[in-house]
Amino acid sequence: MTLAPDEDLMLQVRDGAGETLGVLFDRYQTPLFNFYSKLTGDRTLSEDLVQEVFLRILKYRQSYRPGTPFRAWVYQIARNARIDHFRKFPPQTALEPEMLPPVLPTDSAQEQQEVELLQRALQQLPEEKREILLLCRFQELKYEEIAVLLGCELNTVRTRIHRALQDLRKAFHQLAHGTMLKKAEAAAAESIPPRGGRHEV
Amino acid sequence: MKCEHIAELLPDYLQGRLSAEQHHNVEAHLEQCADCSEEVVIWRKLSLLPVDQPDPASRARFEAMLQAYKAGRSNQPEGGTEWRKRASVWSWNVFHWLRSPLGAAAWGAALLAIGVFAGLRLAGPKPPSLDLAAMQSELASMKQLVVLSMLQQQSASARLEGVTWSTRDQQLDPQVLSALLHTLRYDASVDVRLAALDALSRHGRQPQVHKAILDSLQQQQSPLVQVALIDLLLEWRDPDAAQRLQALQQAPNLNPTVRQRVEWARSKLN
Ligand SMILES: [Zn+2]
Repeated sequence: MTLAPDEDLMLQVRDGAGETLGVLFDRYQTPLFNFYSKLTGDRTLSEDLVQEVFLRILKYRQSYRPGTPFRAWVYQIARNARIDHFRKFPPQTALEPEMLPPVLPTDSAQEQQEVELLQRALQQLPEEKREILLLCRFQELKYEEIAVLLGCELNTVRTRIHRALQDLRKAFHQLAHGTMLKKAEAAAAESIPPRGGRHEV
Repeated sequence: MKCEHIAELLPDYLQGRLSAEQHHNVEAHLEQCADCSEEVVIWRKLSLLPVDQPDPASRARFEAMLQAYKAGRSNQPEGGTEWRKRASVWSWNVFHWLRSPLGAAAWGAALLAIGVFAGLRLAGPKPPSLDLAAMQSELASMKQLVVLSMLQQQSASARLEGVTWSTRDQQLDPQVLSALLHTLRYDASVDVRLAALDALSRHGRQPQVHKAILDSLQQQQSPLVQVALIDLLLEWRDPDAAQRLQALQQAPNLNPTVRQRVEWARSKLN
């Protein structure tokens, strides 16, 4: 039963098996949470929005048609939930790096630094660019599904993904360059002997 | 091949959707173009981004939402027959919950929400595309419903979660306010009471909340909560603090620690 396709489960939910929604919740809460948290950088809001998505699934279950890919359907709901939220509460602060989740230690220090830079670069992108990258890279949506979701042509999706990637590369580059400069400055500062001797602090 | 041509192919290349020939062409370009190949590298690196884990409590919140939703549905006078049939299987405590005064209030909110929903649906057949706007008020009341439902749960940790969740909104809904006050006075778990006090005190600037919190001091039975309330009395510089403390001091069977705290607080007032 737990291996049943999402679409079959959703049809059961539509036909009244509310408890089956729990299986879909277990499958989708983490991807949806990541979609929101990487988009907004706000954990609490992301958790609320995930709850709202599942509430809306219950409410709109009758509108689910057999043959609709569940993943695409649920991201449609997820997008709308976020749009409605920000219509009601316009975001007041830009993303702060402090709000980002901590990067877990990885095998190499260099890889860890790159992940950090990449995260920051991603947060610097305009929201629609960040969103499209998240949708195709993390949420595993097909370009055709993204086209339906964003209401645009398939070719436009390709162009947008490429532009987003281009911007991400530039942002990443700039940040990496900045980090290198800082390191060089720090190294230079280290090599200058302080006047009046070092103080142990 | 130029970068512009590659740009058209790159997204499909990244998904492995090119023909063998196109694939080969792209690879040939990537070998000699730093910018384009760097884009591919960045794309691959994106998979290194850590997966954020949602709060473990969100599963419980989901269950509470489901329960609140079912409770509302099962009492809906028309439609949803299948849901009603299953309602008896779901759990007895939905009905237990609905019999309580709080449950009844929550049920009222649910019916209101469903009424709004039904009204929208009657307005015309919904197209399969999802136009989900204009549902905010309904969702807000459903959220309150979930908080109310959680404050009624058997397990203290679920009630604690309900209290925590109630603090997420800037505005305290009147029903949630009275549920929290009820929790502050009568909850079986001291932890839950303290959490309720914490949640309520955030809204202490609202005069009626301020007064209701301090009024609860007289009936409070838990020494820990009594001490917390006394501290709040001082912190807020309540104009009636002296009176309230004196009344408490005269209460029979006052816990010695609390009595000490009252004396200390009275000395601070002078
Ligand atoms: Zn190129």
